[in-house]
Amino acid sequence: MSSMSTAQQPASGNASSEPKPSWNPLKCSGTDLPKNLAIMVKTLAIAALIVNHVRILPDPWLPFVPFLDRFPPVLFQKTLQTLFLVSALAIVFNRRIRLFSLIIGSTMLVAVVSSKAYYGNNKTFCGLMFLLAGLYKPGAPNFFRWQLAITYFGAGLNKLLDPDWQSGIFFENWALNRLHQPFYIALNSRLPPLVLARFMCWATIVTELAIVPCLMVRQLNSAVVFCNVVFQASLCLFEGTTFTLFFYSMTACSLALVKWPDQPAPVFYDPSRRVSHVARRFFTAWDLDGTFHWIPLESTPRGRSPLYLFAGKTVYSGFRALQMIFLLNPVTYFILAASIASLQSMPADVGTFLRRIVVGSSLVLLAPPFAWILDRLSGPGTLSSHPLPGPVHERLSA
Amino acid sequence: MRVIIPLLLFAFQLGAIVYARFVPTRYFCWAPYDTQTEYWANATVNGHALTAPEFRHRYRRPRHGFDNRSPQHVIDMLQQVEQKRAALGEKASVVVEYRVNGKAPQTWRWPSTSPQREVD
Repeated sequence: MSSMSTAQQPASGNASSEPKPSWNPLKCSGTDLPKNLAIMVKTLAIAALIVNHVRILPDPWLPFVPFLDRFPPVLFQKTLQTLFLVSALAIVFNRRIRLFSLIIGSTMLVAVVSSKAYYGNNKTFCGLMFLLAGLYKPGAPNFFRWQLAITYFGAGLNKLLDPDWQSGIFFENWALNRLHQPFYIALNSRLPPLVLARFMCWATIVTELAIVPCLMVRQLNSAVVFCNVVFQASLCLFEGTTFTLFFYSMTACSLALVKWPDQPAPVFYDPSRRVSHVARRFFTAWDLDGTFHWIPLESTPRGRSPLYLFAGKTVYSGFRALQMIFLLNPVTYFILAASIASLQSMPADVGTFLRRIVVGSSLVLLAPPFAWILDRLSGPGTLSSHPLPGPVHERLSA
Repeated sequence: MRVIIPLLLFAFQLGAIVYARFVPTRYFCWAPYDTQTEYWANATVNGHALTAPEFRHRYRRPRHGFDNRSPQHVIDMLQQVEQKRAALGEKASVVVEYRVNGKAPQTWRWPSTSPQREVD
């Protein structure tokens, strides 16, 4: 994801050169937000709609802001629900998504402060993601980066100063007595007491606190995005839940840290190979925003990669190129969010199992190490990384 | 405005992180799933012991449940409900036994008292 992750701030949308926003929910171009932010809020809106989050929006009950319980409860709740639903649908269908991000974010944050029964870190963070997208201003600092840093700092600091985290007692109780985590139990039984628990606690503390300074170093952006996604996915895999909206929000936040290609990304393919045509047909079928521009290579020496992707200043070849074509297509994120969220309605054990399958397989298939291994394993003449052929090389030097 | 609002929100969160160091609650300071609290609660209102549905209706929590944050969050909710209801003339007593991260049980009572270790 290196070319996607060099941005210090989200790229600005260019309304004049882009098409009008489409009603097609799978499209993202032409909206009043940069594409990465549009994908982020649409992904969150899809997840929130599918898990039917609107049903748990509260009436005022032990509010953090006292005057809120002076509103008529039913009117208050119905207003929140209406605003939430209308905004989420507007975002999904590309209608004034910056404005409606502002509205849905504000709605969620008002809900958070209006009821201690509804209050939760996941809802607060999700509301903040929407709100910050709604407040997006070209040229302003990337506030998503700041928000992620504060979140990890708060989480890491609280654990660091908690004796139950220092000793491992928290993790031992959580994994053994609450989750009955079979892998943890199996491994724990082979180790001295609390060794594994202490390791897991300190690994969590170090990860959370280490991400904070890394977020401020531009050169480490790719690593931060990778660590954030892997860390959140690991939590989801371990517990088997999405922690209500936390998993969606924290992973989607990574999208705000990367830069999407401003222009259609050229994909050079070898027209003499059948696999190239299969890949082109497959990916073109769901490239609804025209993110990629497929160009046949004029000459491809034997044994070279049949596929090259240019994204920003980075060139990808082989399986890494295929992986990046998945990652740069917004539909990938919509499908992932929708498939994970739709498991909410299943019986708990089935949903947990399938959620782990979806999250785990996505993590493996879309992470750089998998493509790297495939590229190393594949021999000459297959989809693998190779020196650039003539026309591509010319483009690189241009 | 589009810059000031985020900055104010960040300042608030940093303040909440610092404030959390001095109080048992963990509101708005990003401490999700940092504590596992298991609790069992019973309440009597005007001499009537609340059933499970009555308890849930009154406090919006089950009588026995878990909370993945500070136990003070559970106590806060019960206490604040009773403080409000007391103004309406209701007389209630609540007993909550809870364990934090699987450790020895503690008890909280309304009215009065701070958390105490259960005596075996």
